[in-house]
Amino acid sequence: MSGLQTLLTTHQLAAGYHVGGRPITIAGPLSVSIKAGQMICLLGPNGAGKSTLMRTLSGLQPRLGGHIDILGDGGASLHDPSRLARKISLVLTDPVRNSSLTAYSLIALGRYPYSSWLGKLNGEDKRIITWAMEVTGIGAYAERKMGTLSDGERQKVMLARALAQDTPLMMLDEPTAHLDLPSRIQIMQLLHRLARTTQKGILLSTHELDLALQVADEVWLLQKAGGGLEKGAPEDLVLNGTFEAVFDKEGIHFDKNTGSFHIHAGSSKKIGLTGEGASIFWTRRALQREGFQVMEEASLSIHADPTGWTLKSISDSQTFTTITALLQALRNQSIYNEDIH
Amino acid sequence: MVGRWVALCVLLVLIFFLDIAVGPVRIPLKSVLRIILSLPGEDKTWHYIVGQIRIPKACTAVIAGCGLSVSGLQMQTLFRNPLAEPSVLGVTAGASLGVAAIMLSGGGIITLYTIRELGISGSWLITLAGCLGAAVVMLLVIMISRKVRDNMMMLIIGVMVSTATLSIISIWQYFSDAELIKDYLLWTFGSLGGVTGTQLYILGLVTLTGLILSFLSSKTLDALLLGDNYARSMGVTIHRARVIIICSTSLLAGSITAFCGPIGFVGIAVPQMARSLFSTSSHRVLIPACCLIGTGLILFCDLIGQWPGNQTALPINIITALVGAPMVVWIILSKNNLSIYG
Amino acid sequence: MNRLFYLVVLSFMFSCHSPAPKDKETPAAANSGDTIRVRTTIRYAHGFTIDYHDGYKIVHILDRNSNKFDTLEYLLVQRGHAVPTGYPKAQVISIPVQSMIAMSSTHVGIADFVGVSDRITGLGSFKYVNSPIVRENIRKGRTVEVGIDENLNNELLISMHPGLLMAMSNPEANGAKYKVLTDAGIPVIVNAEWLENTPLGKAEWVKLMAALTNREALVDKKFDSVVKTYDSLAQLAHQAKTHPHIIIGMPFKGSWFMPAGDSYMAHFINDAGGGYAWANSKGAGSLSLNFESAAPEALKAEYWLNLGYVTSKQDILAKDPRYASFQSFKMGNLYNFDKRTNDLGSNDYWESGVVNPHVVLADMISILHPELLPGHTLVYYRQLK
Repeated sequence: MSGLQTLLTTHQLAAGYHVGGRPITIAGPLSVSIKAGQMICLLGPNGAGKSTLMRTLSGLQPRLGGHIDILGDGGASLHDPSRLARKISLVLTDPVRNSSLTAYSLIALGRYPYSSWLGKLNGEDKRIITWAMEVTGIGAYAERKMGTLSDGERQKVMLARALAQDTPLMMLDEPTAHLDLPSRIQIMQLLHRLARTTQKGILLSTHELDLALQVADEVWLLQKAGGGLEKGAPEDLVLNGTFEAVFDKEGIHFDKNTGSFHIHAGSSKKIGLTGEGASIFWTRRALQREGFQVMEEASLSIHADPTGWTLKSISDSQTFTTITALLQALRNQSIYNEDIH
Repeated sequence: MVGRWVALCVLLVLIFFLDIAVGPVRIPLKSVLRIILSLPGEDKTWHYIVGQIRIPKACTAVIAGCGLSVSGLQMQTLFRNPLAEPSVLGVTAGASLGVAAIMLSGGGIITLYTIRELGISGSWLITLAGCLGAAVVMLLVIMISRKVRDNMMMLIIGVMVSTATLSIISIWQYFSDAELIKDYLLWTFGSLGGVTGTQLYILGLVTLTGLILSFLSSKTLDALLLGDNYARSMGVTIHRARVIIICSTSLLAGSITAFCGPIGFVGIAVPQMARSLFSTSSHRVLIPACCLIGTGLILFCDLIGQWPGNQTALPINIITALVGAPMVVWIILSKNNLSIYG
Repeated sequence: MNRLFYLVVLSFMFSCHSPAPKDKETPAAANSGDTIRVRTTIRYAHGFTIDYHDGYKIVHILDRNSNKFDTLEYLLVQRGHAVPTGYPKAQVISIPVQSMIAMSSTHVGIADFVGVSDRITGLGSFKYVNSPIVRENIRKGRTVEVGIDENLNNELLISMHPGLLMAMSNPEANGAKYKVLTDAGIPVIVNAEWLENTPLGKAEWVKLMAALTNREALVDKKFDSVVKTYDSLAQLAHQAKTHPHIIIGMPFKGSWFMPAGDSYMAHFINDAGGGYAWANSKGAGSLSLNFESAAPEALKAEYWLNLGYVTSKQDILAKDPRYASFQSFKMGNLYNFDKRTNDLGSNDYWESGVVNPHVVLADMISILHPELLPGHTLVYYRQLK
């Protein structure tokens, strides 16, 4: 991928805002780049400045320092909305629920930088709009009003609008927030595919760590309070412990083995777990949720197999057919134990 | 779609003719036609009534209908609020303040003499004052609106700005002559019948300028439907767009308010009707549609006001309120419409 | 004819330019304190009544709109007499009133007529005064400005201890507005002359002032002469062969407020021998007409009176060029009653005009039928050119 064109680079970029005339830097100094065909996920805890960075890169707010170069323009187009509109398209968190606007007419607005002074569409405009609707799979509700669409459908329309804008760079601010799981997965898969097929550079901010790890070509991990930005292939960041280190500060434990989080709290209770297949994976999740520290062996242990669960203590042994029943028994036991102490 | 345009135009021509043909003084239809066609031999009084009273009034109705509806449409897009319109957000009150400043200022004597000295340009002075007043309030409301995201909150702020502006006028009235106050109060009743001659030309010219400005920015207005951020990302220079929209709204609402008095509700009702009739949000379509429907609505209201045998002068804004207020309630009740612009 | 004209001029001079301090000339009887000796009767005004008793008079100000005859009650008690009992709702006024506050220019006109304008110690506004006596007192600082409506300076008023405040509000609405003053013991009497719908009825309110100052004898004589002149002028006008039509007032923004058939102005027009298209309309106020309904009459009426804030034909055209088509405009028969407007912008029509209806009538007859009063010079009216 090293031969790919660089679409955007920043040098010592500082992003933030002014409070009473004084600049407050939220993120930076950052030196990053986006290449054609690359899908980059911007991750980080709330307040780390994901939105501020996105807004700065897309020219919606002025940078506090450093340089941004977009397609070799030296940053000039950031001050000229009509030039920038042909380079970067956006999907924002701003609510768009204009009920009298049909999906089609909203997508058609994406042709704004190219259409005539009256906004009339020519054949080329219409062809691109049709393509954008095909790619996002929203042909079925093109004539529906925005007010009647579900959150997921609406977000796809916004995505189609950005595609219709036909820009080398696309930036999306939390495009999967408020969506249900199938929609989240669909959107992420779609973006990943688009980056590959259209050679667009796509930058999106998200909280969906597990999804991001699966689809991102590169992850930018933004830390709180000017803690800087770690970047790299998601797998590299997992293996070299960057994720663990970053999220540890937030009191969250990132499990290198599973690529998911769990919470430290109450891990003093130890429990052993043995077993096989999907059964052991889900039992572990349930136990972790209950606050147990799950290990190979302990005085209290569980064996999971496809037929059921066996709970063994030093004196006793019980079997259960559901996790619900198992957890209920564990809860009763812990109350009993606490009574003794 | 073409059918709807044609139907609307036919309806409009019909109601325009009806507005000229019908009035407190009964004139046979044939005579009205002959007078319009400048055929000789008709009663001089009828000639005067049709030519000097009804036609100027109908023309004023056309101008007011176009201007008020389009200014309402622009404000709804700019504030992303379906209930925004000049009278709701205080722009009309601002224009009233401008007019009051001219009509009531300095105890009246000095200003009256100034206007008298200026002669015909007194009409320009009133226009300018109305437009400036409208623009000042519009700027104020826009500044506040950047802090307020909530639709209903914005409307409440509009009412507050309106009330505050009208209070300034009330204070002004304390220091003014009774005779001037009477004139001012009569002006607030709203009327289409007082605009003639030069005034009509001035009003027409200013309104046309506002409409052209508005139509030229129809593409920008479309983009603004998605909010400032999206609009900028599509290439709109927000600052410049705002200035143009404020200019054209102030020209439209300000000049019409200056000459016809504060006329409410047309700005809410008409864009809503245009959107549902043509089921579109494209301003390229909505602006001409608003002109047609707005003209029709005001002509209709005027027709009610001058029904045969009715000798009393019925203020036009009372009738527009009677027609428009239920419309507003309907918009509020239909949730779908209210959440429109987020 | 000449005799009549002479009479008009004489009576005008008498009422308008009479020197104020008349106290010394008036018959002793009227000022002796015997309030019962001269009783006046009310013939034209409908808004008030006076009843005479031993040592006091009872005045009722009636609210004609609600037909309540007990709206406001005043006891006018002769100085030195005991306040009679049995009138719990009445305000007590010591007479003869020695100092008073006038809220409107009409009150000044009335006081001038009665010859007591020297007793005006306070005015609602200095803007609306013509009376030379009052203006002189203002200059000398003997008369002060007390403010109107919400600007009424209650503290100043109370400290002045006036014998009376003459208000111009509606009898019905009076109560609350002046409560502070009445609580402080300052009598407030409502002069509702503006609710009268005949010229003589309006003028007859001078008799209320007469009762307050024990000048019934003088005022009766003067008022009778006004009535006599008025009646003979009206009779003269009725003999006119033509009754040229008149339109009144200035349309504004498509509406035209035209005096109703039973209004003060309509009576004036009738008595002056004029024709009025709305003479048979009901009501004593004004009709709110749309421009079109008034247009047929406006186009053919020969005279246009009381045009409001305009001083020339050019002014009228600046308001609306359509008025050029009016017959009255073409003939130049445009008359405004602003001839006696002083340097402050105050119009004497509202001041002395109210108590000199015969002079106003003479003006109108002279305008409509110049042949009936040859040589008459307009007093209040002025032709617009």
